Amino acid sequence: METMIGYDTIRSSTETGIIALNVLKSILPQCKSIKQLENLLVSYVRKTISSRPTSAMMINVFRKTLSTFLDLKDVGEVERVKSALGKVIEEELKNAYESLNRAALIASKRIVDGDVVMTNAYSITILKTLEYAKGDGKDFRIIVAESRPGDDGHVTAKLLSKAGFKVTLIIDSAIRYFMKYATKVFVGAEAIASNGAAVSKLGTSVMALSASEARVRVFVVAGTYKLYLDTVFGELVDIPEAKPKAILSRETWMNIGEQLEVYAPLLDVTPPEYIDAIITERGLVAPQAIPLLIKEVYGEWPPRIRGVEELLQEIGGGSGDSR
Amino acid sequence: MEIPVEVMRIAEEIKTMKLRGAGKIARAAAKALMISALEYNGPNDVNSFITYMNRIKKILLNTRPTAVSLPNAVLYVTRDLGRIPGSFEDAKRTVVERAREFIKYSLEAKKKIGVIGAKRILDGETILTHCNSSVAIEILKTAFLEGKKIRVYATETRPLFQGHLTAKQLLEIGIPVTLIPDAAVRLVMKNVDKVIVGADTVAANGAVVNKIGTSQIALSAHEARVRVFVAAETFKFSPATVIGELVVIEERSPIEVVGEDFLKNYPSIDVRNPSFDVTPPEYIDAIITERGLIPPQASILILREVFGWTIEDYIVEKLSEV
Repeated sequence: METMIGYDTIRSSTETGIIALNVLKSILPQCKSIKQLENLLVSYVRKTISSRPTSAMMINVFRKTLSTFLDLKDVGEVERVKSALGKVIEEELKNAYESLNRAALIASKRIVDGDVVMTNAYSITILKTLEYAKGDGKDFRIIVAESRPGDDGHVTAKLLSKAGFKVTLIIDSAIRYFMKYATKVFVGAEAIASNGAAVSKLGTSVMALSASEARVRVFVVAGTYKLYLDTVFGELVDIPEAKPKAILSRETWMNIGEQLEVYAPLLDVTPPEYIDAIITERGLVAPQAIPLLIKEVYGEWPPRIRGVEELLQEIGGGSGDSR
Repeated sequence: MEIPVEVMRIAEEIKTMKLRGAGKIARAAAKALMISALEYNGPNDVNSFITYMNRIKKILLNTRPTAVSLPNAVLYVTRDLGRIPGSFEDAKRTVVERAREFIKYSLEAKKKIGVIGAKRILDGETILTHCNSSVAIEILKTAFLEGKKIRVYATETRPLFQGHLTAKQLLEIGIPVTLIPDAAVRLVMKNVDKVIVGADTVAANGAVVNKIGTSQIALSAHEARVRVFVAAETFKFSPATVIGELVVIEERSPIEVVGEDFLKNYPSIDVRNPSFDVTPPEYIDAIITERGLIPPQASILILREVFGWTIEDYIVEKLSEV
């Protein structure tokens, strides 16, 4: 389970969310009573969020799922609650796909003939964006940074090359060097904070900084399901780390592994001032206008939301680490 | 006259990066010239000797294009060849003496830079370094041995992971090290007090050519108001840049980045592997040389002081081409 949705397998943030929701949907039918359902939800949500605490998508969908359960558990009998939950998950999955596709479609319009697009990591939203642009007959090149730890960029380069794109693969250290040849930067996000900062794969902030220096525009493409609402109330985004072995060679590990400290963060935060626009299914906005977008999506600002941890507590899960 | 085996081996080791680091390469080239002179057994006349030495010069100069320490060492050692009239014995002796002088000078330079640079490090500071620079390590070592409790972030330095070597060398001295992926430099910069890196070449305007990734480290430091120091012996300054020559950025094989299978299976992916990048002078606070600490924009002073003669030579040579 952890290997499926944690950070150690190369999966885009949206893909991870989709897998987590599908798994939940598939195990719902096993529950024979409200009590069982309650236990399943609490343990599954806790486990999943603690293995990928930065995924705004999972947090948002789980929030909805748990709220639905709380609304129904006293009135409904188990089959009705299960089917309602299944529907919520299905709907959220459908929304995610639609948002992703629409955001990508809008973003693709920003790519023009002759562009050199720089990107990193592995994001299905970005792959979709590039696909749409190519489908429109636009002729452009893509520079992909390999994106350690994990080398997700290698996967992206391979997929793009197979799909017939012109691809250049570079090491992360070469981002500034190649920025002078790039015309635009397109990156995905794991979460969008309420101030418009984007939480993305490690190195994204270096890419955005280098782009800003070179006057190359930076676009973050992400459906509104990536809005990290808890940040409205001051919550900080914890940056998860890869295990030291992920970046050490066997030789180094044997030689100095014991004395050597390794810090291999998986994500970093790109401040809004280096982002020219965030592109969601609702269109293109300045990162500083994210509060407005939150209002649009949730009907009011500040959004009336409850923390996942609070919902878990109310359901009866006791205390835990996750939010 | 055959080229001595030892000389060919040195040239090969520089080319394949078995021997690396601008200072080490320069000393190796001086040593190769010395061996060539000592083992010369052709006709005892000056012209044959000069022709032979010129062939060796060419072999050494063609090993790696970016580091200027190599041509500077070669120029230093062979400067008077054919310029000052004298016997064959004089010519041979001059080459050997100058090679010895260069090696001695460069080793002393490293020590002096260590002493000067260490003064800039304060007790308790966190330093970030990139790649594997023996002068940068000398500064850290000197500061540490002076009793300053420092800690170091070492970047892993793709594609060849020279950062692992840096980590090992620092740990041996006793300095605590945290190894980070290259992409983490901006994220950790908020915990860094100073950046200290080496240089492969310093251009006339103070721009520093160093291991790829240095320029985005300097940019991130600049953004975070962290000071950037470049440690560079004066033989890393490039006299040719004074007359407008560009520094060639070496691009190495993609195999270093992705391996053979990747290249075979995905031949249409263009894998680029430049070894160096250029950090503009505005992101560098000071260059620490064995002659003292200078703002990068004063590089021309070093070039005029140390390489006055070479610059004149370049001008004569290039203008005669026109």
